[in-house]
Amino acid sequence: MSALLADVRIAFMNLVEHGRRSSFLGAAIAAVTALFVLLSALSSGIRHTLVDTATTLTTGHLNVGGFFKVTSGTAGPLVTDYQKVEDLVRREVPELAFSVHRGRGWGKLVADEGSAQAGISGIDIQVEPEFRKVLDVFAGNIDELAQPNTLLIFEQQAKKLNLKVGDAVTISAATGRGVANTLDTRVVAIARDVGLLSSFNVFISSDSLRQLYQLRPEVTGVIQLHLKPRYVDNLEPIAARLRQKLEAAGYRLMEPDPRAFWMKFQTVTREDWTGQKLDVTSWEDELSFMMWTFRALQALSFILMVILIGIMVAGIMNTLWIAIRERTREIGTLRAIGMQRGGVARLFLLEAVMLGVLGSIAGVLLGGLATWLLNAAKIHVPLTVQLFLMRDTLVLTLEPRTLASSVLMISFVTGAAALYPSLRAASRKPVDAMAHFG
Amino acid sequence: MRSRIVVVLGLLCAGMFGLQSAPVRAQSTAAAAAASYTPAQLVELLKKVDERQKNQGDWRSETYIEQKEKGKVAVVYEALVYRRSADQRFIILFTKPKASAGQGYLRVDKNLWFYDPAVGKWERRTERERIGGTNSRRSDFDESRLAEEYTPELLGEEKLGAYNAVVLNLKGKPGIDLAFPVIKLWLDKDTSNVLKRQEFALSGRLLRTSYYPKWKKIFSESKGSDIWYPQEIRFYDEVEKENSTLILIRSVDLRALEPNLFTKAWLESKSR
Repeated sequence: MSALLADVRIAFMNLVEHGRRSSFLGAAIAAVTALFVLLSALSSGIRHTLVDTATTLTTGHLNVGGFFKVTSGTAGPLVTDYQKVEDLVRREVPELAFSVHRGRGWGKLVADEGSAQAGISGIDIQVEPEFRKVLDVFAGNIDELAQPNTLLIFEQQAKKLNLKVGDAVTISAATGRGVANTLDTRVVAIARDVGLLSSFNVFISSDSLRQLYQLRPEVTGVIQLHLKPRYVDNLEPIAARLRQKLEAAGYRLMEPDPRAFWMKFQTVTREDWTGQKLDVTSWEDELSFMMWTFRALQALSFILMVILIGIMVAGIMNTLWIAIRERTREIGTLRAIGMQRGGVARLFLLEAVMLGVLGSIAGVLLGGLATWLLNAAKIHVPLTVQLFLMRDTLVLTLEPRTLASSVLMISFVTGAAALYPSLRAASRKPVDAMAHFG
Repeated sequence: MRSRIVVVLGLLCAGMFGLQSAPVRAQSTAAAAAASYTPAQLVELLKKVDERQKNQGDWRSETYIEQKEKGKVAVVYEALVYRRSADQRFIILFTKPKASAGQGYLRVDKNLWFYDPAVGKWERRTERERIGGTNSRRSDFDESRLAEEYTPELLGEEKLGAYNAVVLNLKGKPGIDLAFPVIKLWLDKDTSNVLKRQEFALSGRLLRTSYYPKWKKIFSESKGSDIWYPQEIRFYDEVEKENSTLILIRSVDLRALEPNLFTKAWLESKSR
């Protein structure tokens, strides 16, 4: 143990002795670590924003939805007798924090100056307090959404249809049986855009949605399950268990299909069955149409990091080669006074790992500071980025787990990069090393 | 040509006037008219409307569809329509524009399918589908089945341009899936041809007004008598007021079609 401590001390003194080279290499390691921390924070930020916004606007962490088919060719995104399903969910999913049910529909918004197709969600605003926290309503009063025949739209839609609070909008849609129906509504609130979801979503009260689609009170569109935070990152086992329990209770289930419910219409209408089939999906399934952008960003970050780490490894190896060449006589002397080959290798390894640890800690601090500054600056992102980011400013999220793993990974990579040069240094014969002039 | 335009415009203007004043007129004439039609006679009248158009054989026609929407360039389609009365089979095959050529609808066993050669897939669609995204429905191109689908009620009689019209209110029969649950129908009192239709949503809102300004008769060998078909139909969207659709039906041919025509394979072969 004392030998190791002595080695650590010698390694540290060597780093100090070659301060210029050590600080240059340490700065490079810190820069790579800081970049890694920033990229991770960006990825986490986007993921958290996606989860927070999407799980309030359109999906739960998990959803029990499905389709009801009156005839084999007509499918509606409906859950019949939803109270029974919700009771079962509450019983069988202890990870559940709370659940809400929403109506789902698709129709045409017709205003005086234009029209637009939109997904129509039925919401009971009085039982969903989180909903108003996510939305930035800049005109009107979101509480009025509790009244029948009221409509919440987004800024983009208001601009397109030239609408303001109080204006009339007719929603034209077909019921589950394909019968044409209309609903005359009044705009009561206009919210700031929240990315792609706000470009084709509007909200009306649940009762109005029932009236438009001629649904009975015991029918809803989807039961959205919001889980306790610690279970949010591990949804698949919970979804699998829920599917099993629903099947055991006699419900017919659709095959797991990682797509948004509206992307399943064609498949469902093509299938030859009638009645109710339930579908258990996660928030990632419901956002599958935009998750590819997130995954592409993650892939790009990964590629960038691999390239940077590659450059860093080459730099470390090169610097160590130079150091070993410069210190060949020193190695010979150490070997001549009795240090074993393993000791020499350990000394160089310790130097590299120590440099890696110190450099990566500095990098984490630097990355953390940059993240804080970027968040404080509230950088406004372009509209195209807002579409999938679902907010207008850039938000980066630091996760302690990511910071710790950054330090560990960078230190490990630095040590691994130093392994071969250290072993080569240790393999020199004392006589040859002492006779070396370089 | 000029006289035809005058007739069409006259009917449209009269129709629009009739739309405004229909309730008042209906009230004034309903009592007198009701005396002349029993419920059974109204059903018979509706059957007559259907019967006059029913071919009881095969049908082929060329159809021109023009869709005008506010702020957009008019979209024009040309299509071939094939029908077979025996099993209620039906095909719409788009021939123009080039981008839509080969697309088509096929109705078999009360299922409506849509084929797009660009993706090479069949999609099942609802029977109440808007054809080609226009304001026309499958039923606008198909045989008339009003008596089968609706229960008539007399609203009265009124003058529609140069025509004396019987005005009926049709309510969808329970258990039958219809795009429009309520229809108001103006029938030519002399010929029983449809002059005008107004279609309402479940909410009671007027959705679409249709005019049938020109009817033509053609001899059907399969039926052994003349059948009537509208050569021109004009749809006016009553929700999006500036949207309209024009349908022209031309070159009607009632000779027997190939036995295997109403199949997916046949429709697919047209785009190869």
